[in-house]
Amino acid sequence: MVRHLKKLFLLVVIVCIPLGFLTEHEHAVFPWHTIPSMDAIFGALGALLLIGAIKIVGSFASREEDFYD
Amino acid sequence: MIETVPPGFIFILGAILIPILRLRGKLRQLYLLLIPVVGFIDLLYLEPGTSWIYRFLGYDLVFARVDRLSLAMGYIFVIIGFLAVLYSLHVEEDGQHVAAFLYVGSSLGVVFAGDYFSLFAFWEIMAVTSVFLIWYRREKESLDAGFRYVLMHIFGGCSLLTGIIIHIASHGFTPVGPLAGGWTSVFILMGFGLNTAFIPIHTWLPDSYPQGTVTGSVFLSVYTTKTGVYALARCFSGTDMVAYMGGIMAVYGILYALLQNDTRKLLSYHIISQVGYMLAGIGVGSALGVNGGIAHLVNNILYKSLLFMCMGSVIYVTGKRKLTELGGLAGLMPLTCITCIIASLSISGGPGFNGFVSKGMVISSAAGAHRPILELMLILASVGTFLSFTKLCYFTFFAKNETIEAKEPPFNMQLAMILTASSCVFIGIYPRVLFNVLPSPVHYHPYTFSHVVGVFQLFLLAGLVFMAARAALSPHEGIVLDFDYFYRTTCRGIVWLCTTPLNGLRLRTQGFFSREVRGIIGLSRNPISMPEIAIKHVHLKMLKLLRGSVRSPEERMRELEEMRSRLDEIRKMAYDENAYRGPMGLGILLAMIFLFLYGLIYFTAS
Repeated sequence: MVRHLKKLFLLVVIVCIPLGFLTEHEHAVFPWHTIPSMDAIFGALGALLLIGAIKIVGSFASREEDFYD
Repeated sequence: MIETVPPGFIFILGAILIPILRLRGKLRQLYLLLIPVVGFIDLLYLEPGTSWIYRFLGYDLVFARVDRLSLAMGYIFVIIGFLAVLYSLHVEEDGQHVAAFLYVGSSLGVVFAGDYFSLFAFWEIMAVTSVFLIWYRREKESLDAGFRYVLMHIFGGCSLLTGIIIHIASHGFTPVGPLAGGWTSVFILMGFGLNTAFIPIHTWLPDSYPQGTVTGSVFLSVYTTKTGVYALARCFSGTDMVAYMGGIMAVYGILYALLQNDTRKLLSYHIISQVGYMLAGIGVGSALGVNGGIAHLVNNILYKSLLFMCMGSVIYVTGKRKLTELGGLAGLMPLTCITCIIASLSISGGPGFNGFVSKGMVISSAAGAHRPILELMLILASVGTFLSFTKLCYFTFFAKNETIEAKEPPFNMQLAMILTASSCVFIGIYPRVLFNVLPSPVHYHPYTFSHVVGVFQLFLLAGLVFMAARAALSPHEGIVLDFDYFYRTTCRGIVWLCTTPLNGLRLRTQGFFSREVRGIIGLSRNPISMPEIAIKHVHLKMLKLLRGSVRSPEERMRELEEMRSRLDEIRKMAYDENAYRGPMGLGILLAMIFLFLYGLIYFTAS
């Protein structure tokens, strides 16, 4: 069941990316508004950036539960 | 013609009557639900303009300033007040309901206040009453967090009052509205900013909201921060600093939310992030931006309170609040799971849900106002929100946990969750109902092909990264230090300074004067002997001068040792705050009595 859901999810991802080439931003202001499927790039890069950031913050700011006690 | 009253007064009167009427059972539940219903009917009949004006010390206090902005706020505050009361109907303790109603009433008081003094008065009532929703949990952590909450809000309140006084002294008694700048703006912005959780004065929020009662946190998640946003919309709309602070809050909140293990702490950081979106829109200041900010406020109140309801239900049923202890609840609490997914999709801005509409408005307003950095920050925060709620839902409901036992919460809690979730979906499908109450006419079409596809792409790719890097996002035991580390360290330093060196100095001074006083007391017992003692003392001094010390070196050494050991005792003396509470409390009580009498005489005379 889980494996099928994963496959379906991947299929949706693969279908969704070319859809970005069929659309264009209604009010393009910045250069990235004109790049097709830019939101997909934002999604992937943003997620990786955030994971990297939480790894860095977690490495120096993590403490035991009773740190303030 | 129905005579209307400021809606906040209905809630405040309703709160006062709760302990007087002492209703029980169904009658009490009916009464509790009736108050927001009456409040809503009152709102429907409120006429635009200002009313309920009272002259006080030469100033006109306005309790009902009605316009589109205050009405929009009023509607959502009363509606969510009803849903939160429905959620907490099973709570037997009258005190919790009193605190909640006073809190809602004072928040409405802030919204409809037409002048700075009445705004400040309701602002402070809001701070005082809300803390009881934390303290009623009756755990040590709640008491401590509540005290820290009060301390931070006293700081914010003092800053706000300072700003208001400077403003009135320089500009006279003006209605609540855009400010001219200078120190007035700095202090008032700091006061409002504390309530909206500006970075780095946001620490009270993730510190205290997770410590509230299960039902109290639902109320807390709605009113304090949103009244702050409302006040900023009134006074600081179109301010760049507010817009960029919004962007910073959106990203910062997400970053810390992703690091949390405590479910309600995670949600608290999301409040900061979501308030960031509102401030970004308001700070941009265009019609689309302000409308977007207020629309996001309305939507956020719905889905954020729903999230607190869902996590409150999980805590209520399982007694567990950490993601590392949860999991496997999807089958045991299907309704809570579904409503939580709806709330998660709403907060993430999924098409068909209310967040999709307002988040799109705010991001478009940032682009429309040519703020590229702000737009990128808000997009990054969108990605983070989706990741964070994928994490929350997965580790609460779908992760493997065969030992957990749970069932759905009481019916009133379920009903409140269903109604709130329905509102999220209804506004998502039919946003016109929201647009109709916004401050200015809306010319925005959320459901364009590119917007829908763009959001799907954003989520799907972020979801793909989540699948690939699930281990990196899995929750861990422990806490993550925030700016409160610096506040706590500084405060501990101040306490050490007071209890060790300053208290030591006080004890030494006290010891010195005590010896002198003892000598005087001895003398006063037999005043006739005073001349003789004086003569002997002078004699002794003369002898000392003439022959050196009359004491042997051993005696002098002993005396020196005694002095040293006494000093050590003073240094080691533990600070016992209970020893000072009584006299301090009495001092404060006397000061309050004198202030009251002074005020009474002043008002009677004038």
